[in-house]
Amino acid sequence: MRAITRWALADLRTHRGQALSIVLATAGITVALLLSAALLQYAVSPWQRLFTETQGGHVWLRTTAGTPTWPLSGLDGVQALSGPFRTDSVTVRLGAETAALDLRAAGPHREDIAQPKIAAGRWLDGTQGDGIVLEQSVAGALWAQPGDTLQIETGGTSVRTLRVVGTARTAERGYVRGDVPGVGWASPDLVGALASAQTHPGQTVGLRLADPGDTDFVVQRAVAAVGPDHVLSVSTWRDARSAAEGDNRLLGLLLRIFGLGALLAAAVAVTGGVSTRVLAHVRDISVLKAVGFTPGQIAGMFFAQHAVLAVLGAAVGTAAVQIAGTAVPGPIGEAVTLWQALPGQSSSLVYTCAATVSAIAAATMFAAWRAARIPPIPAARITAPGRRSSARSRTAFRFRTPPSLVLGWRGAVHRPGRFAASVARLALPIVMITVALSAAATLDRFQHPPERAGLTAQLTAREDGASTTGLETRLTQLPGVSGVYPATEVAALVPGQTRTITLRGLGTAEHRYPFAAAEGRVATAPDEAMAGQGLLDAMDVRVGEWVRVTVAGTPHILHIVGRSIETEHNGMVISTSLDTLQEGQDSLRPQFYHLALRPGADPAAVSRALPQASDGRLEIRTTAGPADELSPIRGVIAGLVAVLALIGLVDLSTSITAAVRDHSRDLRALRAIGLTPRQTVAVIQISAAVIALAAALAGTVVGVLTSHWLIDLQGRSSGIGAGIAQTPALMTLLLAGGAVVTAAVTIATLPALRVVRGRGADTGITIY
Amino acid sequence: MTRTEPATGPAPHLLSVTGLTKTHSTDGARVRAVRGVDLNVARGEFVAVTGTSGAGKSTLLHLLGGLERPDSGRIALDGRRVDDLSEARWAVLRRRRIGIVFQFFNLVSTLTVADNIELPALLAGRTPRQARASREEFVGRLGLGGKENSLPGDLAGGEQQRVALARALVNEPDLLLADEPTGSLDGKGTREVIRLLTELHQQGQTIVLVTHDARVASAADRVISFYDGRITDDTTLDTTDQHRAAAADIVKLTG
Amino acid sequence: MRLPLLALLAAGPAHGYELKQGLEKLFGAAYPQPNIGQIYVTLGRLEKAGLIAGQDIVQPDRPNKRIYELTEAGRESVDAWFEEPSPTPRVRDDFFMKLALAPRTGRADQVTLINKQRRHYLNLMRALSKLAAGEDQDNRIAQLLIEGASLHLQADLDWLERCQEELE
Repeated sequence: MRAITRWALADLRTHRGQALSIVLATAGITVALLLSAALLQYAVSPWQRLFTETQGGHVWLRTTAGTPTWPLSGLDGVQALSGPFRTDSVTVRLGAETAALDLRAAGPHREDIAQPKIAAGRWLDGTQGDGIVLEQSVAGALWAQPGDTLQIETGGTSVRTLRVVGTARTAERGYVRGDVPGVGWASPDLVGALASAQTHPGQTVGLRLADPGDTDFVVQRAVAAVGPDHVLSVSTWRDARSAAEGDNRLLGLLLRIFGLGALLAAAVAVTGGVSTRVLAHVRDISVLKAVGFTPGQIAGMFFAQHAVLAVLGAAVGTAAVQIAGTAVPGPIGEAVTLWQALPGQSSSLVYTCAATVSAIAAATMFAAWRAARIPPIPAARITAPGRRSSARSRTAFRFRTPPSLVLGWRGAVHRPGRFAASVARLALPIVMITVALSAAATLDRFQHPPERAGLTAQLTAREDGASTTGLETRLTQLPGVSGVYPATEVAALVPGQTRTITLRGLGTAEHRYPFAAAEGRVATAPDEAMAGQGLLDAMDVRVGEWVRVTVAGTPHILHIVGRSIETEHNGMVISTSLDTLQEGQDSLRPQFYHLALRPGADPAAVSRALPQASDGRLEIRTTAGPADELSPIRGVIAGLVAVLALIGLVDLSTSITAAVRDHSRDLRALRAIGLTPRQTVAVIQISAAVIALAAALAGTVVGVLTSHWLIDLQGRSSGIGAGIAQTPALMTLLLAGGAVVTAAVTIATLPALRVVRGRGADTGITIY
Repeated sequence: MTRTEPATGPAPHLLSVTGLTKTHSTDGARVRAVRGVDLNVARGEFVAVTGTSGAGKSTLLHLLGGLERPDSGRIALDGRRVDDLSEARWAVLRRRRIGIVFQFFNLVSTLTVADNIELPALLAGRTPRQARASREEFVGRLGLGGKENSLPGDLAGGEQQRVALARALVNEPDLLLADEPTGSLDGKGTREVIRLLTELHQQGQTIVLVTHDARVASAADRVISFYDGRITDDTTLDTTDQHRAAAADIVKLTG
Repeated sequence: MRLPLLALLAAGPAHGYELKQGLEKLFGAAYPQPNIGQIYVTLGRLEKAGLIAGQDIVQPDRPNKRIYELTEAGRESVDAWFEEPSPTPRVRDDFFMKLALAPRTGRADQVTLINKQRRHYLNLMRALSKLAAGEDQDNRIAQLLIEGASLHLQADLDWLERCQEELE
């Protein structure tokens, strides 16, 4: 044991530089992985972001009026209270739409806890006659915007009007028609004026906990403290989160795979680094074995040495992230700030650290095992035989290609096994970077232009009040508008399903809606329809089959001729022409109009011109795409690409150092033959470039294939449908590949210069 | 350590080898390095193995030291069969009972001279104090005073071989194996090593070494000629007065 | 013997006994005791060849000493000796004869011959080593002489190995 310690310490002392670089590399990788975890959390959960930003309440209680709520603040685990707010249940109407609303009394001052975040307009200003602020989900259902006037029905005969002054977002449960009422805020006077027996006057109070894990316990105690008879409803942050997080599975899957892939790439990079170190020590290890160290002792020593260095590096990396992570500009800093405020962050920190160290330890174990297998004869030839000089090289020489080029090429591919290993190690981060770029490209596709993603129309217009004739014609005449399609959406029943699906009627026989078919063909004839993936899965039918849907008792038999990309309603959508729908029900009127714009037309300009054309009775909305909520993702993806690039660089430098050491002996011989120093440096640079190029090609190809498969897989399972995957632009890929090769050449230059000047890596000529 | 044969009194020979064979296969070619070698070495003998290079002498030495595993045959060290030991057991055996010196790469490049010499002692389980005492003894005997804190890279070839010898001897092994110990040395270094080996032999050390240098070989009691994997001659040197006179003759001036 | 004596005289005139002492001092124990008689004979021959010139010195209570000094011709001889490379060493043709003839006669085995010769050489080598050990370490000339002989023996032993390779 003492002997091992003596050797381990002396070894570290002699190779201080190497030990330091291992610690730094491990720290870098740990930082990279921790940042990935933070970015993952940040990207996948907009709800979580909002909850943390607004300091949301963990528990919301709706109690009867007059219930004392002060016992709640004294409960164990409760950090703060929001409210209590006087609350009344009302119904609001805007145009044709109605919604149930819990109207809360709120003042102009900002609360510490659960202050709603303004999305449009403004918050209450506390003046007399001020209006109402609606929560965003219910505002969307009503098509309400700041400035609109709502009618409030309080269950009695009186109807009051209120102006919407703003819309806001909270981290509470969103509005679900018929299930969860929406939330609105108005001044206490107003709420008091609206109160009546039918409004179930009561109060709402929110609790913020010190430890979210205590939620269930606190709920019990809170209900007991207030009195079960007085509690009308309870909801927790978990309900809100699960309701909000249905839609982001796409990103979730991609980013989770990144996490694992980054860990794998890191382990692989470290294996490369440790193996290089082992090879540098081959002679010493042989001598030690000859002296009497057992293979187990050698392996154990190597493993312990590197494990200690890895733990040190992980600690340094973690400290760096915890201390300085929030100061990083851009989404990375935001992500770390968010992450640190999250419940359970310390456990995920420990978990990530442990995973990193374990991965590195496993990689080290493999390298240590190889170290133990070195024969105990110090002068044994450890170089594996390479291929003999190939005919191709000779031909190349004959054709007077620059000797550096041929030698560099030969140097790289001389040993096929080792070449393949280096390429594979470097290709792994490149695969993941390519997948990241594909994800970005896919999201781009959904943003502009949407028609290729299956959403042909970009603007939706709805009439306010009674419809006027000639509206369609006037709309068509607007500049920039290439087509106006009347549309309606109804809920329909299908056999075998308990939930309703959405049945759309788009366009008429004269103005056929330009569907985009991801599979099959476009619906043209009457009775033909396009279905979303979600519907096909739910009904277990395929494109080309017939289905039966029932709308308010009227059955429609439709022939599904194609599949379209449907991003709403979980893909449970079937679209046909309006005429087909109107067959059974003459009274069915178009609810809104889809406007398709000419290529190059600006949606914002057209939407501004529309109210004039319709005498102000039109409301405009931009067709939602799935990418709207996901704009911070771009920054996240950039961050992930940076993280992966870091890992790739670590791997690249270890590969190149190893290659340079391998070739340093050959290079001396070449110099004796007559290669100038510049040519010798070029040889090494070209070797590095060959490996990098091969890795870039392999990585990009595999990455594109993998990303297509992954994104389509996720698309299919989320109901959006397969076929949404988009390859990154060729220019982007070429730039990325070029960056890899440039990095390789740059990294190779310094060791190359050192070899040429004689202060090489392990010289191998000095005899001990 | 488990014993495969009970030792009944001291064995007649320290090293007893029968029917040893070893074939290397490299690059597709099979080389029969050792073919059916029988050898007995008594305690205190100084044996030199000579022969042309590539004849398999080094392989024979590696087999005797457990650095390579024989294809067939028996090796017994002090009556105990050792050819079937695992690599780990061989390592333990080498610590106490066998010292090995190679032509190159004898020392751990990252350890100082002192650490290199003490390493086998520590490995064998002796305390640091005992190890240091042994090291100081051998540093004195081999004339390495003042170099304890140098790294191997700072020493001349002959000095390195002396350090290697000190390291090989620090645990007072039964058997010293040396593979071309003077192969990379100049005349002065060679003389030093020969002198040391002769001294050690006079003090009772059993030595088996491989060499192509006749001066080294002639310092031994017994010279074995190794050719093409087999022993072709095994002769004990007996230098008589005639030889001495003839030697003087050679030196006589002519012309 | 002739040329070394001439070379010694190039340093200055000397008589026979001085020359003997000079040889001893130079070569030490490596060179067996020079025979004084042989020296005088050689000196006589050299004088007859005209390479040295002798002169008697009268000593009152001792026999006359004869002092020799180099002549011009002698000086030229010494210069020429230093100028020309020495002739090639002899090959041990005696042993080679034995080796070549052994199969013919059927009375000796080649491998045995080689082994015997090798043993002889090794013993010689050992004797040489002992000689070197006995000699003063600082006497560079003597050590070099012995080393030269060792290297020759080494070459002979290597040649034996070659013979063994070729004949097997």
